[in-house]
Amino acid sequence: MLEQSVVSTVVVPPVAAESPRHLRDGARLVRLLLRHRQHKVLFATAVGGAVLFAACTVVSSVVIGAITDHIIQPRFVDGHVDASTVVGLLGLLILVGVVRAGGVIVRRTWAGRTNWGVTESLTAEVIDRVVTQPAPWHRRQNTGDVITRAGPDAEAASAVLGPLPYATGTVVLLALAGVWLVVTDLVLGTAAVLVFPVLVVLNVGYQRRVSGYFDRAQAEIGKLSAAVHESFDGVHVVKAFGAEGRETDRLAVIASRLRNARVETVRLRSTFEALIDFAPNLVNIGLVVAGAYRVRSGAMTPGELLSFVFLFTLLVFPLRLIAYALSELPRSQAGWGRIRQLLDEPLEADPAASLEQSVTAEVEIDDVWVSHDSDRSVLCGVSATIASGRTVAVVGATGSGKTTLVHTLAGLVPPTRGRVRVPVDSMALVFQEPFLLASSIRDNVALGAALGDDDIAAALGAAEAAFVHDLPDGLDTVVGERGVGLSGGQRQRIALARALVRRPALLLLDDTTSALDPTTEARVLANLRATLGDTTVVVVASRPSTIALADEVLFLVDGCVMAHGPHEQLLVDNGEYRELMQAFEHDRDGLDADGRSS
Amino acid sequence: MTEPISRFSTVETIGRGVEAAPVLRSGFGLTLGLAMVGAAGRVALPILVQQAIDRGFSTDGDGVNVDVRTVWVLGALALVATTIATFAQRAAVRRLGVRSEEALYGLRVRLFEHIHRLSIADHNEERKGALVARVTSDVETLAMFFSWGALAWLLDGTLMLIVATVMVAYDWVLALVAFVVAAPLGFVLRRVQHHLLRAYERARVDNAEVLTTVSEVVSGAETLRVYGAGPRYAESTKRASARRSKSFVRAGTIGAFLFPSGEVFSVLTVAAVVAVGVVRGPASGLTAGAMVGFVFLTYRFLEPIAEFTEVIDQTQTAVAGLRRVLGVLDLPIGPPEPRHPQALPSGALGIDIEHVTFTYPSRGDDDEGPVLHDVTAHIPAGQQVAMVGETGSGKTTLGRLVARLADPSAGVVRVGGVPLTQVANDELRRRLVVVPQEPFLFEGTIASNLGFARPGLSFDEVEQAVYALDLGDWLEGLPEGLETEVGQRGASLSAGERQLVALVRASLVDPAVLVLDEATSSVDALTEVRLTRALDRLAVGRTTIAIAHRLSTAARADRVLVLDHGRLVQDGPHAELVDQPGPYGRMYAAWVAATSAG
Repeated sequence: MLEQSVVSTVVVPPVAAESPRHLRDGARLVRLLLRHRQHKVLFATAVGGAVLFAACTVVSSVVIGAITDHIIQPRFVDGHVDASTVVGLLGLLILVGVVRAGGVIVRRTWAGRTNWGVTESLTAEVIDRVVTQPAPWHRRQNTGDVITRAGPDAEAASAVLGPLPYATGTVVLLALAGVWLVVTDLVLGTAAVLVFPVLVVLNVGYQRRVSGYFDRAQAEIGKLSAAVHESFDGVHVVKAFGAEGRETDRLAVIASRLRNARVETVRLRSTFEALIDFAPNLVNIGLVVAGAYRVRSGAMTPGELLSFVFLFTLLVFPLRLIAYALSELPRSQAGWGRIRQLLDEPLEADPAASLEQSVTAEVEIDDVWVSHDSDRSVLCGVSATIASGRTVAVVGATGSGKTTLVHTLAGLVPPTRGRVRVPVDSMALVFQEPFLLASSIRDNVALGAALGDDDIAAALGAAEAAFVHDLPDGLDTVVGERGVGLSGGQRQRIALARALVRRPALLLLDDTTSALDPTTEARVLANLRATLGDTTVVVVASRPSTIALADEVLFLVDGCVMAHGPHEQLLVDNGEYRELMQAFEHDRDGLDADGRSS
Repeated sequence: MTEPISRFSTVETIGRGVEAAPVLRSGFGLTLGLAMVGAAGRVALPILVQQAIDRGFSTDGDGVNVDVRTVWVLGALALVATTIATFAQRAAVRRLGVRSEEALYGLRVRLFEHIHRLSIADHNEERKGALVARVTSDVETLAMFFSWGALAWLLDGTLMLIVATVMVAYDWVLALVAFVVAAPLGFVLRRVQHHLLRAYERARVDNAEVLTTVSEVVSGAETLRVYGAGPRYAESTKRASARRSKSFVRAGTIGAFLFPSGEVFSVLTVAAVVAVGVVRGPASGLTAGAMVGFVFLTYRFLEPIAEFTEVIDQTQTAVAGLRRVLGVLDLPIGPPEPRHPQALPSGALGIDIEHVTFTYPSRGDDDEGPVLHDVTAHIPAGQQVAMVGETGSGKTTLGRLVARLADPSAGVVRVGGVPLTQVANDELRRRLVVVPQEPFLFEGTIASNLGFARPGLSFDEVEQAVYALDLGDWLEGLPEGLETEVGQRGASLSAGERQLVALVRASLVDPAVLVLDEATSSVDALTEVRLTRALDRLAVGRTTIAIAHRLSTAARADRVLVLDHGRLVQDGPHAELVDQPGPYGRMYAAWVAATSAG
């Protein structure tokens, strides 16, 4: 039993009688998975191996019968046997066994190739799709969900292919065995063959019943792992409130539901395991008793009877595997369904495509409206022109639309109305939350662009990220999960260097420098001016010191431009602006905002 | 850094696993006994065949004579034996299954408890994923094993034992021949398994790499898009996926040789048994029936070996999983609970930090010195203290020691005169609350997050707490009030609002001491005002230690502790320190310069 590939499958004709829909769905899934020619070839080879195995299985039981009739019987009853018969038949037994083994090797190896080949192409398809979909699509997705589709779902979808050749081989085996049994002894053979469907129905019936429990257990695992994730993420809070015991109790309840679902499965399974062993044994006992009559009447030899019995013992495990094979189908279908859902989503319009190209570094925003849902506009008719080389601070209270404005300029958010003109080919945006790859600092700055170390070093210098040179491997230091942990401010400066190294005509900073201490921030902004003379800089800012460094301020209130002009002028002209500035100054930011735990 | 893995042999690991889940041992004797009875039923058929041939069939010159009555009696006996065996096997499977689910449940709960009690140092970012994996995927490998491998060991192990016994009883010479010819199979399997294990190890590493790259492409989608790097990273994901396919196919190919080697040895052994039997002939006391029975028995004996080979790699995976699980359970829980806890005095609590030195446990070759050197400070009950210092000064660490998230390497911290190491954790968490820098919220409502502070709080109490911190206006502005959903990890709230929730949550415990790790992320002006207000309310009558990242916080405190490179260099009220020569004055001057607008 228990082939390692045991997981799965479907296209077993006897099942068709039981469940045509099940079979049709399964067959359709397999056809869809085997779209590519090279996968079909791999798959066919695996099936070939399985068929070889099936044929040799039947032949081996014939050989066992022959050994009984022509070696054992003559030697022990008549007292004499031909040495050449002994050598010939035993040699044949060994030969058939070796070929049978070869069939298994071919089947398993090529089944694995099929399975992983398909997984690989599914993963590639999902990834291609994911990187093609524009930002608005990504914002609607649950990150973990998308990752699951490219990873575990792709594996699950093709998992059905691994054991499918085996299942096909089993069908061939049943067919060959049936033919041989009937041909050898019409009466006994027919009786034996009639038992096949009974065994298959037994297996399939079990599979059906168990799959409900199985799904429940899977769902419970999902819930448990989500809860564990959250609970461990929140360990600081758990500890702060001494809630370790309470959290354990909460998780234990979820774990106990999983246990209960599994215990149900075990109960069902124990009955099945016993029955599936019992049924063929019963058949074999029947065969011996009924066969005794056939032997008495001279219709068959004792050797042939033994072949029958022997063949039946060889069929027990393949029959048993059908159930395991089938139990995997729902998982594959679910995985495939989720992948399909992602791939079938229409490719969304990229908001970046609607940006108009500005020849210089000038930015023109003309009556731009943005609303994420129908009722509320995040930006309502923003218009502004920013001349080349200017630094503009976008200022406003939380929720005033600052980030949305910057993301609209970057082509990440589609305006529902209005037009945006920017230097499309030469823009860089630094997000509020920096994203770093678990890779070297060099990779993180270059992001695939061919850049010299000098350029990278210069950009890191301008971003005040010279600390990189003090790291153990300098530019080659790997950051993230398996590398060096960086503070928020350090990560932010690397993200900034990534933008600077490209010498963009338009640099968009979404509250980027707030994670830096004011002194560093001031130096960074001064460096920007020095190194990127012609670059237009649009910076979302909430620190008076940053705002003061800008040439002009775009003051947003509830998605509308309330004022646009130099900081000093706005302080004088605009009461609301003055109030906001006072609020900002009320609690000036501190001296070391690097946030790194010391 | 790598996760801890306990270095125990397979046998020791299993032994320790059973120790960790004693339910596995209870009643195991009976389970084994039932499995034996079940296995005995499976030799009924070979015995029936032997008996039928020797007693039921006889050959004379005219052909085969059959004593049908004897065959009937034998068949009936075999039927009875098989039926009993079926019930016994069912009971054995059920017992094993139910107990193993109990064991897994127990193990999961132990892991929850243990992991929650691990020191914060063990919960760093790099390890978080690993800890979740221990409770989910590693325990799942054990679950897979129990639902499969363990069953195979139990049923097949007993079967082999019984079959071997019957073989020896029939004819010890032939039994010996069978054992000797089959023995090398063990060596062959060991070699194959050795390679297999390494191949799967490799495959798992490659699989993790795929998940890492996929998750980067997905979670960094916007950044990659802004920099036009999506396709390039999609390619690197595909390369990782191709490497994974290759290593899984390689492992699968090695695995494909396991079952066939059993097959080849089966035919060799049967051939050897028949050959030796034929040579010895009827004179040795062997009968035709015994010979045929022997052929069947040989297959029955070797069949489980072939199955074992399928199960062994699963077993090894499970042992590896178990080893990792035990490795986590071996991590000392930190800081340990006192054996004889001392009660804290009621009322306000002072804090005494006496000659405290702290070195982080070595994490590799780099020899980092102590983070804190001989720090001494006495904080009277009710005082508001701010700890300031640059990154790496040790202020965060000192805060952690006061909260007993770690114990000092030397020196002692007392709360209310009682050394922290003598305070029961539950009591400490009722009297001292930490508000972390980035407060974590659980998915659910604001009310449920606040309720986390103390079980059994009424809705009114929670609401009152919000008003008590003067946050009524904030609450009223929320769409659903306290029933507002905070989203995954509190993502639906702003960073500032998460901090507000954390402050109210802390106030609900009504602690005597508050350790506050000040947030560095920028917060909008209104929230900032609310935070300051809430904090002032919360601090009244409590000893408060703020790990300050803003000098404004220091300026408001009763007393400032200035840390520099792990030493306490200045201690006094803001007004006094500002004019003293020393780092504080310099920091303050720099800060004033940086934050003045214009």
